[in-house]
Amino acid sequence: MNDTVLLIGRSLRNTMREPATILPNIAISVFFLFVYNSGLSSVAELPGFQGTYLGFILPVAIVSAAVGGAGLAGQTLIKDIDNGYFTKLLLTPTRRLSVIWGPMIASAIVLTAQVVLVMLIALALGLKVAAGPLGFALVVVLAFLWGMAFAGYAAFMALKTKNAAAAQAATFAFFPLIFLSYTFVPKEYVTAGWLKVAATINPTTYVFDSMRSLLNTGWDSTSLIVGFAVTLGFATLTGIMALWAARGATKMS
Amino acid sequence: MSDRDGADRSITAEALRRDFGKLHAVDGVDLEVPGGQIFGFLGPNGAGKSTLVKILTTILNPTSGRASVGGYDVQRQGGKVREAIGVALQDVGLDPLMTARELLMLQTELFGTPRDEARKTAERLLVTVGLDDVDPKKRAGAYSGGMKRRLDLALALVHDPRILFLDEPTTGLDPASRAAIWEEVRRLNDDFGMTIFLTTQYLEEADRLADQIAIINKGTIVAQGTPEELKRQVGDEVVELQFGSSDDAERAQDALAPVAPNRQRSNRELRLYFGRAAENVPELVRVLDGAGISLQGLTIEQPSLDDVFLRVTGEALEHEVDEGADDVPAGAEVRS
Repeated sequence: MNDTVLLIGRSLRNTMREPATILPNIAISVFFLFVYNSGLSSVAELPGFQGTYLGFILPVAIVSAAVGGAGLAGQTLIKDIDNGYFTKLLLTPTRRLSVIWGPMIASAIVLTAQVVLVMLIALALGLKVAAGPLGFALVVVLAFLWGMAFAGYAAFMALKTKNAAAAQAATFAFFPLIFLSYTFVPKEYVTAGWLKVAATINPTTYVFDSMRSLLNTGWDSTSLIVGFAVTLGFATLTGIMALWAARGATKMS
Repeated sequence: MSDRDGADRSITAEALRRDFGKLHAVDGVDLEVPGGQIFGFLGPNGAGKSTLVKILTTILNPTSGRASVGGYDVQRQGGKVREAIGVALQDVGLDPLMTARELLMLQTELFGTPRDEARKTAERLLVTVGLDDVDPKKRAGAYSGGMKRRLDLALALVHDPRILFLDEPTTGLDPASRAAIWEEVRRLNDDFGMTIFLTTQYLEEADRLADQIAIINKGTIVAQGTPEELKRQVGDEVVELQFGSSDDAERAQDALAPVAPNRQRSNRELRLYFGRAAENVPELVRVLDGAGISLQGLTIEQPSLDDVFLRVTGEALEHEVDEGADDVPAGAEVRS
């Protein structure tokens, strides 16, 4: 455990030394928040819309921050593998999975910080969280888990391809996942059948639903259970993929 | 040079093999390195040196066979092996964003040393490898090649390993850095009885440092022994003949077959191996005269590891040397 803490500390310090690796991601999330909130806020005036548009669009900014932050885990691993430091760490008595856990947990901390930052900006813009402080915390937890699910995916791609460009390209899978959903308007106002099908398949939809219910309408157990179940299921799947890839990469058999 | 404190410092391998697809990178290697030795592992590029080092240091699994390092099995007791060994691979492994002290402290702590002590270890090792006067804020990414190599060596020493693996530690270094590494390797061996397993492409390096040498070619060990033993295998003395053209050298090679059965040619030079060279020189000159080949120069010297290498790796041997020469030691032939 101590080794993992040391390795997390090292990854966090490196992130601070290269702010350029996280700033664009924060900028994109804040951009979503400002541009869509001011440009599309009249959506909230449609009949039947509950809560504020800020509470509706904020999950998009949060998921974007979480998913972008998760890509960092893959990038860190690729850098370590490329410059040989990964091997140097494997030559210590450290449990081998710590070498992978370190950067992954570090990027989870970074992405959580980004999510909290985006949410604080939303509070400054006048957000009222319907489910209160505990609801706020649950949104952060959901974002963290969703980020970890993507960190697992990013680590899997990094360890399998060992190629920075390929791992970077793999993160573009995030885009359809964010946008093929009820991203900008509620379900009731979407008429395109294909988008409804895509949104139903897309797990992000359920994450958006859970977060929006907490932010805009209060406690909705069905939407929370579905959201957490989908998130945990997805995180478990990518976690297993990452562990499997890690075993190959650290044993090199 | 046995183990000083009862700790096992040996390295053994039995029928070790590693395939990459169809390539047999390591093809049935047996090794027995007693504790406390400097063992030189010599071979051309791509001979399998680095693959073998990776297997022995637990970062690559063998396809078959077994190996033990410091008394521990490399596959089943990898953790124990890693505690016993220090490793500096051919490609240095440094995080470019970290400073030398940060890298050394983290590495030391990962070996279970408390922070305060790790700080002292870092300072001590920086002095050892001569990096103590570098700007402490300078990150490893900004170091020169030689400095990186020295820092990498320091990282291999953080836990006072019993056995040190150095994979081509001086490749690409300038002569001064190379000499500094040689001196350090000697000192580690003398002062701590550390077993040092060193791979190299430089014959001089192996000759200067190693108690024992193995030569690997195409995944197989083709010669093993002390430098002296290996040199004696090719003959006691060498006559080197220099010609004006490689054409002349080639004709001389054929013409001299009856009087010098053991010989190797490289370009315009022909090297002939004898028990006692001087007494053969008049005959050599006579034969060359008779064949009308003019000689540009002649020197008598001791065989070097170059001679051994050329002979066992087969590069020159396959084409240039008479087949009979392979199994007839030159010295024996002349003395009889």
